[in-house]
Amino acid sequence: MKKVLLVDDEVDVRKFVSKLVERAGYEVIEAKNGMEGMGRVREDKPGLIILDVLMPKQSGIRMYRELKTTESLKDIPVIMLSAIAPKSFFRSQEVLAEFAGQPVPEPEAYIEKPEEPEELIELMKKILG
Amino acid sequence: MTSKAKILIVDDDVDSVELLTKRLRAEGYHTSEAYDGEQALRQVEEYRPDVVILDIKMPKIDGYEVCRRLKSSEDTRLIPIIMLTVKRKVPDKVKGLDVGADDYIPKPFDYRELSPRVRYWAAVKMEVEERVRKIKRLEQELIDSERLAAIGQTVASLGHYMKNILFGLKGGFYLASTGSKENSTDSLKTGWEMLERNMGRISDLVLDLLEYSTDREPEYENCFPNEIANEVCEHLEAKAKENGVEMIRDFDPSLQEVLLDPKDIHRCLLNLVSNAIDACLFDPDEEKKWVVHVRTVSENDGAVRFEVSDNGCGMDEDVKKKLFTTFFSTKEGRGTGLGLLIAQKIVQEHDGTITVESQVGRGSTFTIRLPHRDGATQRAMVNESHQT
Repeated sequence: MKKVLLVDDEVDVRKFVSKLVERAGYEVIEAKNGMEGMGRVREDKPGLIILDVLMPKQSGIRMYRELKTTESLKDIPVIMLSAIAPKSFFRSQEVLAEFAGQPVPEPEAYIEKPEEPEELIELMKKILG
Repeated sequence: MTSKAKILIVDDDVDSVELLTKRLRAEGYHTSEAYDGEQALRQVEEYRPDVVILDIKMPKIDGYEVCRRLKSSEDTRLIPIIMLTVKRKVPDKVKGLDVGADDYIPKPFDYRELSPRVRYWAAVKMEVEERVRKIKRLEQELIDSERLAAIGQTVASLGHYMKNILFGLKGGFYLASTGSKENSTDSLKTGWEMLERNMGRISDLVLDLLEYSTDREPEYENCFPNEIANEVCEHLEAKAKENGVEMIRDFDPSLQEVLLDPKDIHRCLLNLVSNAIDACLFDPDEEKKWVVHVRTVSENDGAVRFEVSDNGCGMDEDVKKKLFTTFFSTKEGRGTGLGLLIAQKIVQEHDGTITVESQVGRGSTFTIRLPHRDGATQRAMVNESHQT
């Protein structure tokens, strides 16, 4: 079974989204922050990562940068999850600073909370097949 | 333009007033006249002249005094004053300039001497007025745009926060409905819990908004500041521990019973300590051993000081500037941006002060200082209101 790694600090979001992942027919792995998330990526080799943008300890942005700048991990598709609209997100100081002037790679998809549950399931199926 | 200027002539000598009036009007000025100091002050008020031609020697209030008063009033100090006098001595000139006269013409004078000066000062006055108008307009525009920016920030911050709540509600609804369709009590229970939690967040938000927007007086009670601080620490101990943040309580044992609104101050401290823990959680430095320090201090003048410090992520100048002015949250939808504003409001209602020191990567310290309130009189007032 394909694995989906879900990284979000909020319990509610994890409960909700992990249910969606299960319904889509994939195995779900959870992490509370970017640091934990990176550990799981290396260990479990997920086929897809659903990543919250802002989290304590290690933010989603930093984890995203680590993923995209690590040769062996940069091809894992990422769905970014955030309450911020994607346009302003990619222009935000935080993101630009994290990538230190380097071009910011676009994630596979960008989900702006709140999203309809079915759409997220569709999206996962589309990416993972 | 300058020929339309209004000139006030002040002289106790009727003949010279008449002569000047004639000459000035011939040049196209509007004129008005006063024959003593008191009348001059009234006329300035009513006539709003552009230039005052002022004689020194007058009954009641002399020219020096008139000049001094006009120049010391915010309302009239920009009106140019040309002083006229028979005195030719240097000390008199100096005195005239000392009390703020803009120009000085010794009597007797040729009108051709006065005319260009009136023209000059009328032009200056109009130029100054024009510039003041422009500055005022720009100031207003600045205030307007700052207010709009603040409102924009507020709306964005609340919007993000509500999006997160909505996401929780949708999630709860989804789990509850699939749970009931598929007869999964587990999913149903989780769904209901999520709905309940997020409804709670909405009611908290509404209460915060109302708290912030309503003017109210603190309900003063005798209480021990250390007890309040301790309650707050106990309330947040679990959150701190769970996230690897050490909480240190440092309470001044000499702190006596004081008058304050315990619920308000509790809330205020809760916001600050909760923020301090968040500042640690959002600190990108994973090597750091995070500590939140809660201190109480009894000051010499009877004031109470609360200090909440953390060694978390800290704030830059830009964030610091926005802290107390807008609904501003760095927590992207996880905060309403109201916490600090409410804390500030509570402190101000207690006639106290709240200050912040912060350095990026080093952490922040918030200090609340509540002035001493006389316990006896306050208690008497409380008793009185209970009887009625």
